[in-house]
Amino acid sequence: MAKEFTIEDLRVLANLAGLTLSDDDLQRLLPGVKRAQQQVAVLRAIIAPGDEPAGVFIASDGDRK
Amino acid sequence: MSTVVKSNDLCYLAIAEASAGLRRKDYSPVDLTEACLERIEALDGKLHSFITITAERARAQARQAEQEFASGKGRGPLHGIPIALKDLYMTKGIRTTCHSAVLEKWVPDYDATAVLKLDEAGTILLGKLGMHEFAFGGPSVDAPFPAVRNPWNLAHIPGGSSSGSGAALAAGFCYGALGSDTGGSIRTPSAHCGIVGLKPTYGRVSRYGIVPLSWSLDHAGPMARSVEDCALLLQTIAGYDAKDAASANVPVPDFGTGLREGIKGLRVGVPRAGWFNENLGVDAATETVFNQALEVLKNLGALIVELDGKPFSIARKANQTILVAEAYAYHEKTYQETPMKFGSTVRRRILEGAFLSAADYLTAQRARSALNEQIRANFKRVDVFAVPTAPRPPDTFEGMDPNEQNLRPSFTNPFNLTGLPAISVPCGFTPDNLPVGLQIAAPPFEESTALRVAYAYEQATPWDERRPAL
Repeated sequence: MAKEFTIEDLRVLANLAGLTLSDDDLQRLLPGVKRAQQQVAVLRAIIAPGDEPAGVFIASDGDRK
Repeated sequence: MSTVVKSNDLCYLAIAEASAGLRRKDYSPVDLTEACLERIEALDGKLHSFITITAERARAQARQAEQEFASGKGRGPLHGIPIALKDLYMTKGIRTTCHSAVLEKWVPDYDATAVLKLDEAGTILLGKLGMHEFAFGGPSVDAPFPAVRNPWNLAHIPGGSSSGSGAALAAGFCYGALGSDTGGSIRTPSAHCGIVGLKPTYGRVSRYGIVPLSWSLDHAGPMARSVEDCALLLQTIAGYDAKDAASANVPVPDFGTGLREGIKGLRVGVPRAGWFNENLGVDAATETVFNQALEVLKNLGALIVELDGKPFSIARKANQTILVAEAYAYHEKTYQETPMKFGSTVRRRILEGAFLSAADYLTAQRARSALNEQIRANFKRVDVFAVPTAPRPPDTFEGMDPNEQNLRPSFTNPFNLTGLPAISVPCGFTPDNLPVGLQIAAPPFEESTALRVAYAYEQATPWDERRPAL
């Protein structure tokens, strides 16, 4: 079972991302970040090894602009 | 309270009617423009649908259109028609704020492709419309411009993020508008304001010159008071654009052809099981109105087919993950430099993307491929999907609860994730007299099919005749 994501984990991630956030900011963000991580867990469970990301690089598109 | 108005009320004419009247010289583009400007002046203090009103420019364009009509130089069905733009469409020489302090004074030096096309078609630009800040989050309570109000009840939100577009059309301030849609931002305000809004297929309308929210989910599209008006606007703005990397080089059909062909024998899929009852589920009054709309479609000759809604339900999770990741990538530099220029809602939402890993983002994009395949496989059994546009009526400003919103199903997100065309058409009212929208989604590049179903429904029902009492 995955470990509960805490405000301390969020503080570490914020520092890595170069963000200066107060305790209040982190507290407000925590539910949304937890929800986002839960969403990714659901998505991880439905993908098959052969599923490639949507959107592919097309080499010939460089001259479109 | 609402009132039934006659179609000769100048400000509520359909584009097709107004265009016919201009050709007959019943009135001039100047008359239409002045009528809209007077109505905006009189009533927009209640709604705040406009951020910038370009009255002098509109008057000059109207006079030019009048001269062109007089000299027989008609440019088509949008010539002389006053319109307005969500304030994230770049407009040369006119400030484009995205409803944010970040861009409060920004004046672009070029036009978005869709704006250029509308200009070439001879439309008259009345101004730029309010929205959710950067098309994200919710009504902006601490932005430099007031939040847009719902014309049907000022205590309620109009839905977003193209909130000004929805409110201005419902209030009779303009004949057509453009919105943008990343998770439902054209269709939700259309439903909540009782108007029609179409999110075309991804790639059908150029995004060039539209301030992005999420590159792979953003769609540009028309909003209007009738299905036919949406078709006319789409006809003008659709088409390949080499300046947009996602633009699709596919033929643009005549969206008016087939509009009146009816829906006898059409198979309408309703992905109810596993979706409508997700968490808090769909609001009871909304589902009642939706079921009545299905009966109308059935009476028009359509066959209703129940489908598995599970992939649609999961699609929201992929849409949200991709959206916040791409939004953070776009705003990261500005956020790091001037975080307090963003409003509190959008600041919080943008930051959610900062804590996703590259692997998380790619997981969502891989899930997108899988879900796209599963959802589109239904088109072997049905021709279109039908769902409510929004799971519940618009909240009041005071009672808004973002957490509750997350516990309702999103009926719009899956069609951004899959890029399918989807239209919202008014389908009734709740007991509190708030509009409800019916959403029809069709296979890729079959906007004509979605328009045909919506048109058949619209013609069979009276909802487009009701106006908010302002």
